[in-house]
Amino acid sequence: MNLTQDLELFPGHRVTQMLFKEVKNAAELRQSAVEGKISGALINPTMLVDPLQVLVAANKAVHLQTIGKMKTRSLYSEIIFNLSPTNNISEAFKRFGISDGDESVMVVVVHKKDEVQLLSDVTARVDGRQVPAEDVSSLSDSAKIKKLYKVAPQEDKCGTLLDAVICRMATKDVM
Amino acid sequence: MAVPEFLQTAELLKQGAEARVYRAEFLGKPAIVKERFPKRYRHPTLDEKLTHRRTTQEVRSILRCRRAGICAPVVYFVDYTSHCIFLEEIIGSSTVRDHIASAQQSDSGTEQKLQQLAERVGQILARMHDEDVIHGDLTTSNMLLRHSQKDGEPELVLIDFGLSYISALPEDKGVDLYVLEKAFLSTHPNTEALFEKLLKSYAASSKKSSAVIKKLDEVRLRGRKRSMVG
Ligand SMILES: Nc1ncnc2c1ncn2[C@@H]1O[C@H](COP(=O)(O)OP(=O)(O)OP(=O)(O)O)[C@@H](O)[C@H]1O
Ligand SMILES: [Mg+2]
Repeated sequence: MNLTQDLELFPGHRVTQMLFKEVKNAAELRQSAVEGKISGALINPTMLVDPLQVLVAANKAVHLQTIGKMKTRSLYSEIIFNLSPTNNISEAFKRFGISDGDESVMVVVVHKKDEVQLLSDVTARVDGRQVPAEDVSSLSDSAKIKKLYKVAPQEDKCGTLLDAVICRMATKDVM
Repeated sequence: MAVPEFLQTAELLKQGAEARVYRAEFLGKPAIVKERFPKRYRHPTLDEKLTHRRTTQEVRSILRCRRAGICAPVVYFVDYTSHCIFLEEIIGSSTVRDHIASAQQSDSGTEQKLQQLAERVGQILARMHDEDVIHGDLTTSNMLLRHSQKDGEPELVLIDFGLSYISALPEDKGVDLYVLEKAFLSTHPNTEALFEKLLKSYAASSKKSSAVIKKLDEVRLRGRKRSMVG
């Protein structure tokens, strides 16, 4: 159910995505994340089109951490910031982070190959049902995503919504 | 330095004067990496500035085109320290250049197909200019044809926006077309009529084409005068 991908640019680093439904303790999870007690990014899955969107954000976060140019305080907040089309940090958290009443959560962990303990630590904290991370597409709210990323109908002609979203994320610092 | 090490394992597709183009897997997807390397003969600070500008212009124009529904590769990641752009690989594509060349080789039934292609190129460039994107390096190598499995019509994808910029001036658009005309006619012999088709289709597709074609005529005349003097 976990979805793991190596970051080719950073040998040894990999990203694991874990999706939970019927979550009962979103408020508690959010609080722990704020206090830095969870080593993972907690993302609102309705704002995700596909796991690739998370990978693009995570790769960029690790890159900026490596060169000391992160815009936020931690790798996990940087991942959430990178998902957003704007440079407003609190806006990014509002849209892409989780809120207290949320019933589904995507947890994203950046780890080394042998750090599997990190993953079970996170799973143990979530009071919910884990489903395959690939299922995130069935939770996405396309209308909200299109509006936030300002994707116009004519863009359909040259690709998918995922393409449109990824392009904006990857280029937002020079727009 | 993660990216340079990564590129050592990637497949080099093209070594150009300004950039190297690689093929590699990135985030599990087939990708193209375009690396702009330092030019030793330029002053380091100036070189850094120019290279940075090309990298940002390239990604800006790709996004501007895509927003308008003009196909260009998806940008996955940009590293402004090593000046690398990670792009979607247009799978199963060929350049318009190779396409025209092989069509000219085979003798029958390709004339009409080539005319359709020229018309489509004209339409897409008209739309690009209507968005005020000046490509800056229009050649038939910088246009790809994506052969999708579905319906027969291949899709035109524009690439290589490193010299692009934003301008609404008919002069800039006219020069853009002039650059293409020069490249087109010298790469593909005996294609004057085909290029005329392209321009006709451009003129019919753009709302602002008459001023652009007028400028193109002026630039051609200037070009001719210069070559008579020089
Ligand atoms: N996204 C892509 N998908 C598939 N093939 C590509 C892609 N981008 C580039 N190529 C191939 O690589 C070739 C060179 O790419 P590109 O034109 O971007 O670089 P370049 O000509 O070296 O750049 P410059 O003109 O700035 O020196 C293209 O002609 C094409 O065959
Ligand atoms: Mg080129």
